[in-house]
Amino acid sequence: MPGVRSLLQASAAAVVSLVLAGTAASSAATNSAPKAYKVIMLVVGFDPSALTVKPGDKVTFVNNDLFPHTATADDKSFDSKSVAPAATWTYVAGKPGTHTYVCIFHPNMKGTIKVQ
Amino acid sequence: MKINHAALGGLLGLALVMSTAYAAGPTDPQIAAIVVTANQVDIDAGKLALTKAKSPDVKKFAQLMITDHSGVNKSAVELVTKLHVTPEPNPTSRSLQKGGDDNLAALKKLHGSAFDQAYVDHEVAYHQAVLDAVDTTLIPSAQNAELKTLLVKVRPAFVAHLEHAKKLQSELGR
Repeated sequence: MPGVRSLLQASAAAVVSLVLAGTAASSAATNSAPKAYKVIMLVVGFDPSALTVKPGDKVTFVNNDLFPHTATADDKSFDSKSVAPAATWTYVAGKPGTHTYVCIFHPNMKGTIKVQ
Repeated sequence: MKINHAALGGLLGLALVMSTAYAAGPTDPQIAAIVVTANQVDIDAGKLALTKAKSPDVKKFAQLMITDHSGVNKSAVELVTKLHVTPEPNPTSRSLQKGGDDNLAALKKLHGSAFDQAYVDHEVAYHQAVLDAVDTTLIPSAQNAELKTLLVKVRPAFVAHLEHAKKLQSELGR
């Protein structure tokens, strides 16, 4: 019965297509949802000191120190200005690129954010 | 290094007092007084340097000293208030205060590059002396866990200040 066989084959193909489509949709949703990252500001350095993010991701700098700090990009793409002890500042990643940054008060504090 | 004799005497005095005054180490109220005085001495020197320093980099360093040491003192005062500890003046805190007063008196007589050099030289020696005191006496002697944690937390800042001051010192010496 070629008619039934064709029907079964068509149904199986439809199911596979649906599953694939579902996977793709789910994967696309995962890829597009912005992620949140945290960087701790301490006079010994930023923790983590290197991050790789995607455009739209949020990087929140948390000052866990007794002193004010900044996260100031060398290429001027972002600048938290002075972040007081216990305060936070959030950077939303922009265009792809690699940004090195420092605390202008404590130049020994250095970090890198790669946006890709 | 062309550190003035009054300031050098004060720093040597700090080392001597720290090694001889406490058979069993300073108590927490005494440590609190030492911490607050040590920070205040550097804040006062920084305030003078802000008005007298010639080099913009020295002025920036002075502002950093004021900001950071004020931050430490704010945390120290909040902690002792919470712990109901009254800072207790002692030979070390008095020696620090006298060394700070002598340093200010010596610095006030200097101008221009001579002031910058003397201020930065003293900052190098002062931070080294305070770090030594933190490592050998204050952290080991602190009984209260939160006081000990505070000392451990401020230590990296003193190291960063020392390195910063040494860098300035080498730049001024060129």
